Amino acid sequence: MLICDDAIFMRTMVGDILQQAGFEIVGEAETGVQAVEKYKQLRPDLVTMDIVMPDMGGIDAVREITKFDPGAKVLMCSAMGQQALVIEAIQAGAKDFVVKPFQPSRVLEAVQRVLG
Amino acid sequence: MDSAQYAELFLTESREHVSAMNHALLALEQAGDAGGVVAGDQVSAIFRAVHTVKGMSATMGYTAIADLSHQLESLLDRVRRGALQVSPQLMDLLFRSADTLEAAVEEAVQGRDAPPGTASLLDALRTFSRTSGGMTAIPAPTTGSVWSVEVPDGDGVGIRVRLVRDTPLRGVRAYLVVEAARRLGTVTAISPSIGQLQAEQFGDDFALRLVTDDVEGALAMLRSAGDVADAVLAESAPEMFDLLALEHAGPGLVPGGGSAGPRVQHHVRIDLRRLDALMNLIGELVITRGRLVQLAMAADDVALTETVAQASRLVGDLQDEIMQSRMVPVGQVFDRFPRLVRDVARTLEKQVAFTIEGTDIELDRSMLDEIGDPVMHLIRNALDHGVESPAVRVAAGKPPQGRLTLSAFRDRSAVVVRVEDDGRGIDRARVIARARERGLIHGNGADLTDDDVVKLITRAGFSTAERVTDISGRGVGLDVVVAGVRSLGGSVDVRSTPGRGTSVTMRLPLTLAIQRSLLARVGGETYALPLTHVSETVELTPETLQAVKGREVLVLREDVLPVLRLRELVGLPRSAQADPEQVVVLETADRRAALIVDDLTTQLEIVVKQFDGVRGGSTLFGGATILGDGAPALILDVSSLL
Repeated sequence: MLICDDAIFMRTMVGDILQQAGFEIVGEAETGVQAVEKYKQLRPDLVTMDIVMPDMGGIDAVREITKFDPGAKVLMCSAMGQQALVIEAIQAGAKDFVVKPFQPSRVLEAVQRVLG
Repeated sequence: MDSAQYAELFLTESREHVSAMNHALLALEQAGDAGGVVAGDQVSAIFRAVHTVKGMSATMGYTAIADLSHQLESLLDRVRRGALQVSPQLMDLLFRSADTLEAAVEEAVQGRDAPPGTASLLDALRTFSRTSGGMTAIPAPTTGSVWSVEVPDGDGVGIRVRLVRDTPLRGVRAYLVVEAARRLGTVTAISPSIGQLQAEQFGDDFALRLVTDDVEGALAMLRSAGDVADAVLAESAPEMFDLLALEHAGPGLVPGGGSAGPRVQHHVRIDLRRLDALMNLIGELVITRGRLVQLAMAADDVALTETVAQASRLVGDLQDEIMQSRMVPVGQVFDRFPRLVRDVARTLEKQVAFTIEGTDIELDRSMLDEIGDPVMHLIRNALDHGVESPAVRVAAGKPPQGRLTLSAFRDRSAVVVRVEDDGRGIDRARVIARARERGLIHGNGADLTDDDVVKLITRAGFSTAERVTDISGRGVGLDVVVAGVRSLGGSVDVRSTPGRGTSVTMRLPLTLAIQRSLLARVGGETYALPLTHVSETVELTPETLQAVKGREVLVLREDVLPVLRLRELVGLPRSAQADPEQVVVLETADRRAALIVDDLTTQLEIVVKQFDGVRGGSTLFGGATILGDGAPALILDVSSLL
């Protein structure tokens, strides 16, 4: 799993949820640019991607990652009120989304769906 | 999930974001209307900060902060899209929001309600949005247990899909369900239209026509698309809302999933209390090490001595590492000052260019927490009493805009922090008058040097403000700042030139708990001189010691230093011994003096134990420590000597 979010708080929380469910966190990224780099380097099974990040936003990062690996599994992390952006992210190649505030069960369900 | 464990993380990060927000606000204000790209960048930065705080606070269940940041975000989004112009009114509202957000964060973590004024701010934000263009209302979703839409005409089977009630971003969820259907076959019709679905213009359910070979398989897939309460063939009778359908999407996790790639993690967040505990332990270990070294030397066993020496080095390395892990850049505290300067200067109607230098200089976390307030008071004092109003400055032949500089730099085992302004300087006559009033001096003070006058300000009980202003009032004068810094083992020096400006310089040890010190002996007792205030040591020779105007001075290279004798300071008669005495050159931020002692024994890491409740007694010593042999030693408070 690769966790991309500009807030350590969010990365920690998502990381804890995933780790407690037995997943392994192989990396974290704070910006879209980092997310793309780390994806290429680590080839994670799943990426959680924040939409609003400095440098390169989450949507552009999804686009870049999908260009590099069409089979990439990206789960968008969004806030209420971002429907247009989430749809854009899905059109860019993201597989599913979760909405903040995160409930562990919802995050894990979404992860499970994406991993199929 | 237990939210408490995240509270600290939330606090730290929210503070950083509010700080970032303040920075961007200041930059935005400076960019003004002609900002263009700069302004756009700043608005985005503010938006990001607010957005992140919103996400975190909602997760923590701090609804007041989440509501506030949500309103703020809506407003910022309009600014970002150009629907709202940056105006002074908007800037005021945004600054006010940053303040309230900051306060609300602190309160929420303490388990208290949002600060007073939050509700009125929320109203103000809403009103501002409305009066400046209006908000688009999002239609409330219709809910119910019956199907609300007709199945559209078209090829293939009709399928009705109902989403779980209160599905977040249900427009996107519906879009994903349709996308899933498209992967299973050909979707020939959707009701309502895909556009309406995306815009959340539907109730809980929608319908579509799908051409597929495997209808049951398709239904099963759609049911597991996430947040789908039910997906049924349209031809079947309408069903009641079925909670059991939720289980289709339930978790069935495979533990240990995920790749076996390398674990990449560079940072770990540690509770500060844990670092404090480590610091205390290493302090005790350092004391024990001193004792061990002495015992080993007495035992005269080579193997033992070597082993102890090695253990001793390791303890030293361990201490360095722990100290290093506690170091944080001063920028973390300095970052909030640009905003302070802006607000204070505005209130006083003064113009100030504020510069910060050396933000990457590092200090121990505990020390950094302590210097925030003193520096704040110095800045407020400089703005209130130092920098003149534009008219006065112009009349004095100065540019209307004053300069204020906050700088930090490292000097050997000390960190120096300086606040400097180009204002009116310290008013000699007023200081003398106040000192007389306070009973600090007698007579007209004509014999006082400028230096003496400056020193008066730092004496306890002195306060220059004639009236308690909102700015630097509340009784916090320079004397209080000086006392605070000295209790940290630091020193303060003030330099002032009438009409030209004032600079206040603080010299601080890197950390509170452990100080590298020089041990000096006088009359059988040991005293510790913190290296923060030691410049060098020299051996005393008769020719370097001279008398000038009846006072002893030491000539050291180019400098002439006043001489102090530790024997006299502690009330012992002058040494009659013939042994050469030692001289320690002491320095505070701006002053130097020579201290004559009987002998210097060694340099040592000492653990500082502050005195408890002996206020008003001797100010000669700043604390005590326990030496390796178990004997106590007093720590000299160098700043009180000079």
